[in-house]
Parts: sequence; C-alpha cells; structure tokens
Amino acid sequence: MKASLKYALSIAALTLASSTSAALADTPSWCGPKKATIALLDGFGGNSWRQVTTAAGKQEAEKCPSITKYEYADGQGNTQKAISDIKGFAAKGVDALVVFGDAGPAVLPALQSAFKAGKVVVPYRVDVGGKDGETYTKFVGASFVDDGVSWGNWIKGVLPNGGNLLFLSGPAGNSQGLDELKGLKSVLDDKYKFINTAPFDVTNWDPSRTQQVLTAEIAKNPKIDVIVSDFGPSLVGALPEFKKFNRSVPALATSDGNSLGCFWTNNNKDNPDFKLFTVATGNDNVRLAVDWAVASATGGKLPSETVFKAPTFEDSVSGKPSPVQCRADLPGAIYLSSGVSADDQAKAVSK
Amino acid sequence: MNQAADNVNDMYQRRGFAVPVARGFVTVALSTLALLVACLVFAPSSVSPGALAGSLPFAAIIAIVGLGQLLVVQQGGFDLSVAGGVSLAVVIAAHYPDGDNARLLPAVLLAAGCALAAGLTNGILVGFVRLNAIIATIGVNALLYGAVFAVSGGVPRITTTLLAEIAGGATFDVPNSVYFALAALAIASFILKNTVIGRRFEAIGANPAAARAVGLNVRFHQMMAYVYSQLLCCMAGVLLAGITREPTAFQGDSLLLPSVAVVVLGSTSLLGGRGFPVSTVIAAFFLNQLSQFALAIGVPYSAQTIIQALALGFGIGVYSVQWTRNTKRRVTK
Repeated sequence: MKASLKYALSIAALTLASSTSAALADTPSWCGPKKATIALLDGFGGNSWRQVTTAAGKQEAEKCPSITKYEYADGQGNTQKAISDIKGFAAKGVDALVVFGDAGPAVLPALQSAFKAGKVVVPYRVDVGGKDGETYTKFVGASFVDDGVSWGNWIKGVLPNGGNLLFLSGPAGNSQGLDELKGLKSVLDDKYKFINTAPFDVTNWDPSRTQQVLTAEIAKNPKIDVIVSDFGPSLVGALPEFKKFNRSVPALATSDGNSLGCFWTNNNKDNPDFKLFTVATGNDNVRLAVDWAVASATGGKLPSETVFKAPTFEDSVSGKPSPVQCRADLPGAIYLSSGVSADDQAKAVSK
Repeated sequence: MNQAADNVNDMYQRRGFAVPVARGFVTVALSTLALLVACLVFAPSSVSPGALAGSLPFAAIIAIVGLGQLLVVQQGGFDLSVAGGVSLAVVIAAHYPDGDNARLLPAVLLAAGCALAAGLTNGILVGFVRLNAIIATIGVNALLYGAVFAVSGGVPRITTTLLAEIAGGATFDVPNSVYFALAALAIASFILKNTVIGRRFEAIGANPAAARAVGLNVRFHQMMAYVYSQLLCCMAGVLLAGITREPTAFQGDSLLLPSVAVVVLGSTSLLGGRGFPVSTVIAAFFLNQLSQFALAIGVPYSAQTIIQALALGFGIGVYSVQWTRNTKRRVTK
C-alpha cells in the first residue's frame, strides 16, 4: 500500500514537473515573472491596418501569463485625446504603455510624465523625438529605409537598364516616405529617373486623392515603368486608370494587402507589364514593441532587436519568398503577411 | 439685408428677359474658359481625354454635394454635416452588401433612409426649433460620424463589383458619375426655376419675413432644404464608394470645404436668396480642374495648395468688386 502510494505520488510529481517545464518552454524569454498590466494606446484606430495591428499586439501580450490585463484606447486621430489617453492610463495604474504616437512630438510631454511616474513607456513606429531611458523606456522604430532598399533591389532586377519611377507616399513631408526614398536612392543610380514631384507625390494615403494624383501622372508621362507606393491597397481604386489611357498597369513595388493581391490575380493577364513585389506591411512591428514593454514591466529578458525590419513578402516574378497571394473569400482589407492568421484578421476587421 | 433685397429685385427683373444670364454665371464660365486655356498651354496633359475621364468623376461628386449646399445656403443656412452624410453613405454602400451585388439596392435604400432622417433632424432643429444652422449641423455631423463608426467600426470595406461598374464606369466615353451630376443639376434647376414649390423656395430664401407675410410656409421650406442636401450627400457618397472601390470610412471629410467653395464661386449669396445651380456645377468643374492643373504642372505640394487658395480668393474677390460697384450705383441714384 505504502509502495503504491509512493509510486502514485512520484508519477504525480513527474507529471507536474513535466507540465511546468512545458509551460516554461512555451513562455517567451521576454516574459518575466512579475505580474503586470499593459495598454496599447493608438493615435488613430480607424482603419483595418490598425485593427489587425491591435489584434497582433493583443496576441503577443497573451503569450505572457504574467500579463494580467490588456487594454486598448483609440485616439481617433485627435491629438488631445491621444494625450489624455496616455495620461489617463498612467494615472489608472497600468504598468506598461505601448504607444503609437501618430501626433509625433506632440505626445512627448505626456510620454515623459508617464515615464517619470515610473511606468514602462514604449512608443513605436512613429518618431516622437526624445531619448531612450530619459523620456521613455525604449523607442521601437521601423526601418523604412530597408523597405526602400528592398524595392530598389527588385526594381534593378526587373529593369536592369533603368527606367522611369513614380513614387507615391502619404502626407507631405512624412518621415516614412523620406526614409523609403533614402533607401531607394541608395540602391538605384541615375539610370532610374523619379518622375514624381520631389520628394514624392503626396497622396495622404487617401484612395480618392491617390486616384487623382495617378490620373494626372499617367496623362503627363507617356512612360511609367514602375510605381513605388508605401501603401499598396490604396492603389486598388487607382490602377484601373491605366485602362482609361489604353495602357498596361506597370510594375509595382509596394506593401501587401489582400485586395491588392486579388487585384493582381484578376488583372495580370490583361496587363503584360504588371509585375508585383511587396514587403510585409508591418503589422508585426507592434509585437516587438509589446515584447519590449512586457520584458521591462515583468523583469523578462530584453529583446535584442530594437528596430522592426519588414520582411519581403510577395514577388510575382521569382515567386520568392512567396508568390502573390489572394484570399478572395476573405475581406480585402486584411494583410496576409501578418502573423495574425487570415481568419482571425477577418474576424478583427468584421467586428 | 440689402443683398437679400437685391435678390428679390433680380427675381422681378428676371421676368423681362427670355434667357436670363446671371452675372455670376458669366464670371465663373469665363474663369473656367481661362483655366482651360491655361491648361492647354501649360499643362496639356491635364485636359487629355484620359485625364478628364479620371478626374471628372471627382468633379461630379463636388458638384452633387455643392448642389445640396446651394439649396441650404439659399435659405441663409449652412450644412456642415456634409462630411458625415457622405461618409455614412459610403460606409453603408460598402459594408451592408459586403461584396454581394444582390444586396446593393437595399443598401442604397438604407443609405437614403439614413440621409432622410439626418436631413429631417437638421431641418427640424434649424427650421422649427430655430437653432443656429452651424451649431445644429455640427451636432448632427457628430451623430452621423457615430453612425459611421457603428456601421463600419472605422474600417473600410471594398465595394461591390456592380457599384464599381455603375459609379466608376463610363457610357459613350463619359464617366457615369457625370450623368448622375447632370441629372441632379437638371432636376434641381427645373424645380427651382420652373415649379411653384421652387419659386416659393427662392422667395423664402430671399426674404423670409415677406414670404411669411404673404402666407408661405417658411419653416417647412427651410426644413426641406436640409433634407435635399442630405439626400444629395447620400447620392455623392454612394457614387464615391463605387469610384474609389476601397474607400476609407472618412471619405466625406475632404468635401465640406469644396461644397461651400463652389456655392460661393457660383455667385450665390451666403445671405440666402436666389440660387445658381448651373454656375455651381461649373464651379465644381473649375475647382477640380484647377487641382488637376496644379498636379499636372508638377509643382511641389505646397505650391499646389497655394494655387488653389489664390484661385478661390480671386473668385470670391471678383464678386466683392461687383458688390462695391453696385453700392456706389445705388448711392448715386
């Protein structure tokens, strides 16, 4: 009897030990033992890209069992609200704040006061000024220069003898577009001529303005060999303009989106010059920021990376790393490059 | 009030002419011609058939919201809920069918129903509760944006293929949206200028007190101006959803200012009274062509914005000069 009890106990102990070690193995290194709460504060949450990003951030935080609560606030593109969100969540006692500082340096004083109050503050993707360890814990940027380099290398491959490039970006003077241009110019020499107004054609990432800008450029330039755009899906409404001029859609180097992939799938046969290359649109940038915030708040191991580099995603020419993808059964406004599964994204954007 | 009285005078004088030509019409038509000449000389690509096919749909959208704003301005009001009205129509037209062409018609009817409700709310608040038009319509705009979020969660959705074909397609090489704008213009002009209800509408705008004295239902007509405006916004929104294919949830934001600008450029007095639908539509073409011109000559973004601002300032300045001359004439009489 005694022996069997011992036996049973040892089995129980073994099972417990093995399950604990399994749990430990599943826990990422950036997740420490200290309990903490985290909030993702978005400057503007009103598009599908942001919703998928929010879902990715939540998924990442859920990997760490020490995180007891995950909260989210949408600044709605209103700088005042973004600032009061940061202050409000810090005052509420949330331990770590991951901030998409759309308003730029305008949110810096709020970030600094939260940081001085002992919170972990991790701004990401948009440069807000300030310094690591002084005004916030850590800034997790994205390397838009690398995106430009990836596009430039692909363009060199499809147009070895040079050609006319049209570069479209968002609002005038946005740092993302300027960095991408830096990357492009580091790879492409004078054989490649930028036919847009310097530094880039302003689209505000708005589909109707994109359409108007592209119409004017197509009319003005009889030869456009490649379009470079940092928000591919906003081109879906604009690319059919080429048909109005009886011209083929040219090669396109951009970021991914399901609607764009499907547009290519449906139109590449009628448009012989339409080659497509995409970099991942960068929803997973938030994951690195969450890793940093959680590691700092829970006492986990700090990630080695501080800048998010968007991997290349689709290439219609080489099929590497992936051929062009289209999930016609799912909403167009999802991003197949994201770490969040396509079906989960569909749920996130169809809420 | 002088301006309003002038408008009434204009209305009486008008009966003496077989084909009345408003001075504002001449100004805006000449400006547009001058712009087209400038385009031909400095930026011929902006008037090529392909460029026009690409840009006219946007002119049509501005024309439609401009006509709505015109009717409200005629009653001495302002509809600042244009942005919300258009955005709501866009998201309903894109979200409700969710890619299913069969559900497009119900979606359009639903959007029209919402526009009717928004217009009635505006109209009752301004016409009957006598709230200031700017305050009432800003409030309703906030409500409409609430509805935009409720429908879409702020997330755009791709429009159905049928709507993209209807709104974004072309018949006889002219974009379909242009026909919609011309139809809206024809209906608005006919009703305003040739029907009893339209004549009453203008008379009330010119002088509400006199209109009330002769027994016209002033408040009802003032209310209806907001209903017409929202219905036109709804039409513009549905078309815009088709033209852009993948619209944002805030597509109406950029239309509020142009909607007022084309009314002013079309020489309708902001104090109310006589309206000029044809001039308003020409002004919409002018404004849109101006931005295409700025894009086509390839100047930096800052200069594009300045060119548009200068043209607007010039357009408004032209009317100011005429007003001064009229005042002098009146004094010397």
